[in-house]
Amino acid sequence: MAEVTLKGVGKRFGATDAVKDVNLTVADREFAVFVGPSGCGKSTLLRLIAGLEEASTGELLFDGQRVDHLAPARRGIAMVFQSYALYPHMTVYDNMAFGLRRTGLDRQGVEKRVKAAADTLQIAHLLDRKPKALSGGQRQRVAIGRAIVREPRVFLFDEPLSNLDAALRVQMRVEIKRLHAALGTTMVYVTHDQVEAMTLADRMVVLNDGAVEQVGAPLDLYHRPRNRFVAGFIGSPRMNFLDVTAGGDGTVALAGGGWLPVPAAERAAGGQPLALGIRPEHVVLGGSDLEGRAVLVERLGGGTLVHLELADGATLTAATDGASPVRGGEPLGVGLPPPSCHLFDGAGLALEAPP
Amino acid sequence: MRRTAARLGLWLLVAAIVVFAVFPFYYAVVTSLKTGSGLFRVDYWPIDATLANYLAVFREQPFGRNILNSMGVAALTVAVSLALALAAAYACARVAFRGRGLLLMSILSVSMFPQVAVLSGMFELIRGLGLYNSLPGLALSYMIFTLPFTVWVLTTFMRELPKELEEAAIVDGAGPWTVVTRVFLPLLAPALAATGLLAFIAAWNEFLFALTFTLSNEQRTVPVAIALMSGASRHELPWGNIMAASVIVTVPLIALVLVFQRRIVAGLAAGAVKG
Repeated sequence: MAEVTLKGVGKRFGATDAVKDVNLTVADREFAVFVGPSGCGKSTLLRLIAGLEEASTGELLFDGQRVDHLAPARRGIAMVFQSYALYPHMTVYDNMAFGLRRTGLDRQGVEKRVKAAADTLQIAHLLDRKPKALSGGQRQRVAIGRAIVREPRVFLFDEPLSNLDAALRVQMRVEIKRLHAALGTTMVYVTHDQVEAMTLADRMVVLNDGAVEQVGAPLDLYHRPRNRFVAGFIGSPRMNFLDVTAGGDGTVALAGGGWLPVPAAERAAGGQPLALGIRPEHVVLGGSDLEGRAVLVERLGGGTLVHLELADGATLTAATDGASPVRGGEPLGVGLPPPSCHLFDGAGLALEAPP
Repeated sequence: MRRTAARLGLWLLVAAIVVFAVFPFYYAVVTSLKTGSGLFRVDYWPIDATLANYLAVFREQPFGRNILNSMGVAALTVAVSLALALAAAYACARVAFRGRGLLLMSILSVSMFPQVAVLSGMFELIRGLGLYNSLPGLALSYMIFTLPFTVWVLTTFMRELPKELEEAAIVDGAGPWTVVTRVFLPLLAPALAATGLLAFIAAWNEFLFALTFTLSNEQRTVPVAIALMSGASRHELPWGNIMAASVIVTVPLIALVLVFQRRIVAGLAAGAVKG
């Protein structure tokens, strides 16, 4: 149990900054998820916390005490790796006991803790097996078990589910969430999958290009993205972006010629070029704000994705219900409900709606 | 019809290779069982077989002692080479330091020099260390050709081991020594068996250093002992004894290869596919 604080943490590899000046606090018992596209520095940041990489700048504190100078094993962390990294020549029991034996715990103590962890994860019947005799999901459990037995202050997960198939991933996601509730340990989890991030996180940290773009609860990030990157990254399918011009009176001019009153537009001067963002699930088909044509209709059963081409050549995706009668090639009117519209200035920063 | 012909061709090829590889040894076995003037008659089957030569080899010189010497030197060479190579491979494969490539290239370049070129320098070194005419001296000199390839092979294998495995061990509180001995060593067993066997064979067969760095019959290894076998007179070569001795020293190698065969294949195949 620990609060993890990063102060101005940076990491350089040669001439490139993998992590730039990250300031962040993960509260005790919190489930924090680092999410971002590949190469954004999220894994490096996790490895800095683990102690597998040394920070070039900044401080790392657990419960207010500096730990940057400590070896990984002395920090009280446990890590679950993407490839599981189980010791192939050891049985499941030995895999889980390996770290405990290094701590000098006696045999009964080791056995008790391994058995307890195996019961929690329902792998007690696998203790005598070697990793190669296990399925992917079982290996994942063993890897988590190896982390649990250490009774760490902070759990670190490095994309632990990306090697599993889709069905198992959903199941393990639920189990990890349940585990967090049961153990109440601080967890830091890295993923590139924003659905995983949304479902697991108490707090999400969106990273891009080595820097923190936004930190907040999943729904905060969804509803109030601070910039265009976060808006585009969170949510699937992606948010639509349309080029608009501020009218200066709380409205924006759409490319089709219409005017749309958007609360946040009050912050922009007249004539300023802006980007209007709207999520596919908020687009209303059959509205009158824009004219377009359905070019492709994807039917997913529970929902339908309609890809539209607008009069000015821009594209727009709309998500609607599964029973929608829309057909490809059909002309369609599109409605953009103002409360669901986000505005971004030329630098990509969101314009905040006045209270 | 064509398939039969193709199979026949294949088997003929296999037979040719087997004859080429095994016939000299077979002929040595046949000859070792003959005595007297029979030695100079060309026979393809053992006629009037006798074990007299085998007994004579051990009676006329300390051949048993020579075999023990060879085994001792080869075992020592293998043990020290593997231990050093394992440590070196960890450094070369896992620790990033300046000049790592240069170091690996210079280790490899050691094996470029012919033995004769380093012979006199090595002689001075062995003498200077007081190891002349001793088995550890021989083992030391053999490392000049065993270490380059053991280090290279083990470095290559260790590079193939996933980095996350080492990191998991580090998080588990293992230091470099524990990582090497408890995590890497068991995984490298096939590679160790393969390189250890090659080193053993090289040390077992070595002649030039063994001839130069030993003086007395009691310290000689088998290849030298065989070469220096002499008959009753200066003009007589004891072919029967030489053949018997050659057969005796070949048997341990064949036995070793058979014992480690599966491990060697595993060692050669490992790394080809990720496990």
